[in-house]
Amino acid sequence: MSASSRARDWVARYGVGAALAALALVAAVFVPGFFGLENLSTILLHVSVNGILALGLTFVIVTGGIDLSVGSVVGLAGVFAAAALTGSDVLRAVGVAGATILAVGVALGTGAAVGAANGAATAGLRIAPFIVTLATMTIARGAARLFTAGVPIGFPAADDLLFATKARALDALHAVGGGRIPLPGLARGFPVPALIMLALVAAGAFVLERTRFGRYLYAVGGNEEAARLSGVPVAAVKLGAYAICGLCGGVAAVLLTGQLRSAGPDAGLLYELNAIAAAVIGGASLLGGVGTAWGALVGALFIGVLNNALDLVGVQSFWQEIAKGIIILLAVLFDVWTKRARGASRHA
Amino acid sequence: MGLLELQGVTKHYPGVTALDGVDFDVAAGTVHAVVGENGAGKSTLLRLIAGADAPDGGTIRWDGAPVRFASPRDALRRGITVIYQELALVPNLGADANIFLGIEPTRRGVLDRARMTECAAAALHDLGLFIDPREPVGRLSVARQQLVELARALVRDARLVALDEPTAALTAHEVAHLVAQIERLREAGISVIFVSHRLDEVRRVANTVTVLRDGHRVWVGPAAGLDEATLVRRMVGRDVAYERRPPSRAPETMPLLEVAGLTRAPGFRDVSLTLARGEIVGLAGLIGAGRTPLARAIAGLDPWDSGTVRLAGRPYRPRHPRDAIARGVVYLPEDRKRDGLVLGMRVRENVTLPVLQRFTRAGRVQAALEAAAAQRAVAGVDLRPPDPERPTHTLSGGNQQKVVLAKWLLTDAAVVLFDEPTRGVDVGAKTDLHRQIRALADAGKAVLVISSELPELLALADRVLVMREGRVVTQLAGAALSAEQVMAHAFAV
Repeated sequence: MSASSRARDWVARYGVGAALAALALVAAVFVPGFFGLENLSTILLHVSVNGILALGLTFVIVTGGIDLSVGSVVGLAGVFAAAALTGSDVLRAVGVAGATILAVGVALGTGAAVGAANGAATAGLRIAPFIVTLATMTIARGAARLFTAGVPIGFPAADDLLFATKARALDALHAVGGGRIPLPGLARGFPVPALIMLALVAAGAFVLERTRFGRYLYAVGGNEEAARLSGVPVAAVKLGAYAICGLCGGVAAVLLTGQLRSAGPDAGLLYELNAIAAAVIGGASLLGGVGTAWGALVGALFIGVLNNALDLVGVQSFWQEIAKGIIILLAVLFDVWTKRARGASRHA
Repeated sequence: MGLLELQGVTKHYPGVTALDGVDFDVAAGTVHAVVGENGAGKSTLLRLIAGADAPDGGTIRWDGAPVRFASPRDALRRGITVIYQELALVPNLGADANIFLGIEPTRRGVLDRARMTECAAAALHDLGLFIDPREPVGRLSVARQQLVELARALVRDARLVALDEPTAALTAHEVAHLVAQIERLREAGISVIFVSHRLDEVRRVANTVTVLRDGHRVWVGPAAGLDEATLVRRMVGRDVAYERRPPSRAPETMPLLEVAGLTRAPGFRDVSLTLARGEIVGLAGLIGAGRTPLARAIAGLDPWDSGTVRLAGRPYRPRHPRDAIARGVVYLPEDRKRDGLVLGMRVRENVTLPVLQRFTRAGRVQAALEAAAAQRAVAGVDLRPPDPERPTHTLSGGNQQKVVLAKWLLTDAAVVLFDEPTRGVDVGAKTDLHRQIRALADAGKAVLVISSELPELLALADRVLVMREGRVVTQLAGAALSAEQVMAHAFAV
């Protein structure tokens, strides 16, 4: 391997992290208090939903697939969870604690089920994942609107017989989606969603790097035919990847619903695109076989820090969108550049 | 004077010299056939003529002047059309759109579709093809698609048309029609290069025949009066020979794998063979004879239509490679990059892929166990450097093939099916691989080797089965096993 291809390998692995650090340093120069614990924990809170979705998408992207439905899954899982949480019959039967657990279960189950359906159609019927998940994106969004008749589910009407109970149930879920845990140095504590995101990324990194399933994900995405020849259960692996992606959508739905104390049918609209952007910025290749859990986190943070810094220096949000688009392009160019190095060294 | 003249043309690819100082002339208005074994350099020759590749040495003269084709488009512009086996038509477009692709006539900036259809129909009629030119060509038979490609060449005023194995997929009737069209091209003053495995056709249509072997032109002369046995002898030659590796043990008398009447149309039909522990069986034949489909079916990659297979006396019918691996049957594919390796992964990750469950506890891969196994596996195949942590894409072709071998050795399979195990690797690595394949048989494995390189089969195999057009036509062993015999059966002389 030549020195230049070594350099490219290093850049491919740590480039985004280094760019994130550089961005943070620049932000710190312009924004007083950028590195303050309060601001850092705010950034983490803001990126937590996108980070979790990007983590799920990374599983799918590593297999060479794509999931466009995850934003709609957030919406559908959210309204189902909210309905379970504030349903009068549910609350009468199982109480506030029971309803909260049920709501979380419903959200995660909905996400995993839609994801598994995506995986089954992609792997079993061999339909292009772009089309499959485009279809489920539309179906799930439509189902959420149908289920709610277009109106958010959540805070009870003033004359509701169970007004107090429902408010307590929403508070219970809010402890997850909007809660803080005490941390020295942080007056308001550390946001629970950020903690959940960090835990999930750590778990995702473990699965991707240390487990047989993780190894199979890379093998399927790197060379599906070679993986099949090697006895890898390709269909099951893909199904697992899409189910995990959907599950992450369910987790995001719990956080959003809890945070807002309500779930609207349009929650999570276009979130899939932000999550794909984060995964790609974090180094996942849409060609498959490449991507990491930490990369997804870094990608989400990159977008978050950029938005945060531009917010704090008072740049219009339209400029933020343009900046994000440019960053995505740069990330893809970067990917192509490091790939080309690989192609070249293959014949060296 | 020749229309096209190649002088001392040389072409290297990584690890192989595909053409070595080859001279090749095509006179105007003649048909020049090119014959040779698989891998003799025929396709490379066509690629150079088509401008798809540039020669590393030697000169190409076109119409008397030296040329350097910048691209296939450049060669096309000068009047050279190469029609490959994989036809280059857009299946969803009609014959008219395909024929005029890139040179569409327009009227005031709008496609002149009526004229395209009319001209295409006329060109197709000239070739004896009466179809609606607007019908998507994907619905046409291969023979008709070929004629569409020919029509495309004619519309573009081609002066030289090269056909790569044009008759391989045609029926006898279609072949006769194509041969008649080639005759007509010649009468119209167009030169034709005709690459074929079918020697009777070569004798029928060609004026001149060039025989290639291992990248060299070994013979050129008039087609008239050639007999097929002479042609085969020239194709085979005997200048490459590997050290024969005799078995150190006799094969077991009871076969381990028994294949009876196995059929998967159209790949192979009614194939019966046996494979015993301790022996290496060679599978010879031309490309397309059905060797790879047979091996793939036995390895569980594709299902078969009918017939039975018994493994160690018990029925065997794998539904996917997982089943086959679990029963101890593994297949080492010909195309390493496509089927054999995940190039983006490390050597370690590749070699442990089929047996990862051995190193997994509760879903978690035990890094130390895996690393130790990978280290042993790469040392066992003499990988250089023996570093399991290297990314696989950084290795040479020979070393990549060793990684494939290491991977399957780790599975400790009883039946090992090799498909072109040494294609694209250098001579030193070849000898290494031969030694290891023999070592496998000596260790009691049943080994099947598909190879298009006859000297390799002669050096390795204890007996050789020859396939032709999907069937096993003969078995050769002992004194009857010679290159001439194998080729004679493969070509049906």
